[in-house]
Amino acid sequence: MIQGPKTLQARTSHYIAVDAVHDELAVPNPFAQAILIFRGGANGNEAPVRVIQGPKTLLTAVDNVAVDPLHRELMTASFPTDSILVFRSDAGGDVEPIRILHGPKTQLDRPIRVEVDPINNLMAVMNDHALLVFNRTDSGDVAPKWIIAGPKTGIGTRFGTRDLKLFPEGRKIIAGASIRGPRGTRSREASNEDEEGFFRGSGQRFIGVWKYGDNGDVAPWAVLNATPITKIPGSRMALNPEGGDLVIGGDGRVAVYHLPEIFQKTD
Amino acid sequence: MGVPERFWRVMAGTLLLAAVWIQFGYGPGVTAAQQRSNTSDRRPMVLDRAPARMIADPNPVFRAVVLDAEHGEVFMANDKESAGTSVLVYPTQFPPTNRILEPRRRIAGPKTDLGMVCGLALSIEHGELYSVSGETGTLNVYPLDSTGNVGPRRRLRGVMPRASAGVFLDVKNDELFITTEHVNRISVYPRTFQEDQEPLRFIQGPVTGLGDPHGIYIDGTTNEIFVSNHGNWRETQPGEGEVRGPDSLTRTSLGYNVPGRVVPLVPSTGQFLGPSITVHSRTATGNAAPLRIIHGPHTQLSLPDGIYRDPVSGELIVANTGDDSVLFFAKDAAGDATPVRVLKGPATKMKGPVGISIDAKRNELWVASWDSHVAAVFPRMANGNIAPLRVIRTASENAPLASMGRIGAVAYDPKRKEILAPN
Repeated sequence: MIQGPKTLQARTSHYIAVDAVHDELAVPNPFAQAILIFRGGANGNEAPVRVIQGPKTLLTAVDNVAVDPLHRELMTASFPTDSILVFRSDAGGDVEPIRILHGPKTQLDRPIRVEVDPINNLMAVMNDHALLVFNRTDSGDVAPKWIIAGPKTGIGTRFGTRDLKLFPEGRKIIAGASIRGPRGTRSREASNEDEEGFFRGSGQRFIGVWKYGDNGDVAPWAVLNATPITKIPGSRMALNPEGGDLVIGGDGRVAVYHLPEIFQKTD
Repeated sequence: MGVPERFWRVMAGTLLLAAVWIQFGYGPGVTAAQQRSNTSDRRPMVLDRAPARMIADPNPVFRAVVLDAEHGEVFMANDKESAGTSVLVYPTQFPPTNRILEPRRRIAGPKTDLGMVCGLALSIEHGELYSVSGETGTLNVYPLDSTGNVGPRRRLRGVMPRASAGVFLDVKNDELFITTEHVNRISVYPRTFQEDQEPLRFIQGPVTGLGDPHGIYIDGTTNEIFVSNHGNWRETQPGEGEVRGPDSLTRTSLGYNVPGRVVPLVPSTGQFLGPSITVHSRTATGNAAPLRIIHGPHTQLSLPDGIYRDPVSGELIVANTGDDSVLFFAKDAAGDATPVRVLKGPATKMKGPVGISIDAKRNELWVASWDSHVAAVFPRMANGNIAPLRVIRTASENAPLASMGRIGAVAYDPKRKEILAPN
C-alpha cells in the first residue's frame, strides 16, 4: 500500500499508470495540480521520485495520466481546458509540455482520459460524449483521425462510467461507457438524477470494444454488459493481455474477467 | 541491478518487434483498415460472463461521527460502497465487547440518496440529521429517528459545489457550514434552507489559507470557524464552483458541452502547502484571510480530518489520519504549535482516524477510525497510548484493513503481477 503524507497523494485520486519498462508509477493529484512519479515497487509512506508541478506545466485539475515507455512520454487529458498535455516522462519540477493538443478542430470537450499506443502511433481520448483518436504526435489544433460517437456506440460519460484502454497488439479500443439520452438532455434511462439523486443513478454501464479504424456511429465489436451475472462494479479498467484478463474497478470493488477474445492479436 | 536492466531490454525489444509485426502484418494501415471494415450492420459479440474473481470489503466503515447525547445515540457515516453506504445509529452506552456490534438503526438504500456520505451534523432541537457527500453536490436532511430506505425530508441541491467533506450546524446562529475540497471553500446556509437556497455567504479565494479542506467546527460563542486542511492547494476565485452552466469557472458539473467553446490554457497554480488548521471569523465573507493558522512540523499534523472543540477546556481536537493519532491543541494555538496532548499507539486501536466528537454529558471522547472498522470511546482527557473504554466494530479484529474506498482507477503491473487501485 502506498499511503501517507510523504506520498503527496490527494484523498481523491482517479488514476494510476504503470510504466513497466522503466518500472515507475504515475499518479495525478488534482487538487495540487501535480503528477507524482513513484518507483514501481513503492510501498508505505514513500515520497515520489519526481513531481511535475508548477506554472509552466499548465496542469489544472489533473485527473488522469498515461505513459508511453517507448518514447519516454507522459500525457494527461485536461478536462478544464479541453487539451491534451504531453511531457517527457523523465521530467520533474516546473516543466513545459513538449506538445499540446488544443483548439476547436480537435473537438476536445471535457476530455477525461487519454491513452497512447506507441506501436501504432495513436492516441485515444475519451471525451464527454465521444471517443476521439489522433495520431500520437499530433500537436496544436488538429482534427481527430477517427471519432466514435452516436447512439449505436452507447458512449456517454456524464456520470462517471468512463475509462479507456488500448490494446496495440490486437488493435482494439476498450472503453467503459454508460448509455444516456441525446446530448444536452437528461434521459431517465441514463440517470435517475431527478428522482433518486446522482448516486447510483449512472444508468446502464457497459464495456465496449472497438477495432482500430472504426469511425462514426459504429456499434462496438464486442460488449460486456452490466447484468446480474457480470456484476460489473464500474468502468475503471486495466488490461492483463498475458493472462487474457480485463480488470474492472468501481463501487469499492475490483473484479477480474477472463476475456481472452479481447486479447486475440488477429480478427 | 541486473534484473531491471534485463527487464528493460526485453520490454523494449518486445515493443519494437510488435511494431515491426504490426507494420508488415497489417500492411497498408488505418485508411485501408477503415475501407475493409463494414461496420454499419455490426452486431457486437456479447462477452457477458461472471467475474473470475472479485475483491471487495463487505464490512461498513466509520467516517463522520455525531452524538445525540440527549437520547443516547451516536450516528456514524459509512461511505464504503462495497458495504452499501449508510448512516449507522448505535447506543452511546453498551457493555464493552470486542464482537461486531449491530447498529440499533440503519439509514440506507437508494431512496436515501446518501451517496458517499462523508459529513454528518444533527439538531436535537429540530430533530434533524444533515448529511453531505463526497460525490454529489447535495445537502440532505432526514428526521433524526429515520430508519431504513427513506428519502430526505429536505434537500439542498443545484447551488452547492460538488464533493463536500464536512458539515457542521452552528446551533447558536442556526446556520449550516459546509467544506468543499474541490474548490477550497466554506459555504454557509440557513438551517431552514429551501431546495435552491443561495448561500448566505462563503469563504473562498487565494488568501483564505484553505487547501483541500475537510473537517469543520464552529464555535458560536467565540465566533470562530476551525477547518482541517490536507494542504493540496490551487488558486481559486471567490464564487468558483457556485455558478453552473456555460459560465462555470470549474466546469465540475454542467459547464461543458458547449459547441465551439475554446477554453484558454493558463499557468498552473498548484502547490503543496502542507497540512494545517485554519481559523476564520464566523462572519467572514469571500476572499478573507484566516484569523490564525496552526501549521508546521511541531504541530504533528498529518492528513488532519475530523475536528472538534472541547466544550469544557476549549482545546481543539483533531483526528490526525496520517499518523493514527488524535492531537489536542491549546484553545488559542497558532503557528507551529506543539500539541498539549497526543492520543496515539497500538493500545488505542486507532487506524486512520477521521471522525471525532465529544459526549460532554458523559465526559467521553469518540473517535471513528476508517481503516480499522472501529469507533473507539475514550475518557475525554485521554492521553498517550491507552486502551479505549469500549469500541464499536463492524469487522472482526483480525479482518484485513478496510483500505479500499472508492476505486478511482485500476492498473496492472506486469512485472509484479499486481493490480493497483488508487482510492
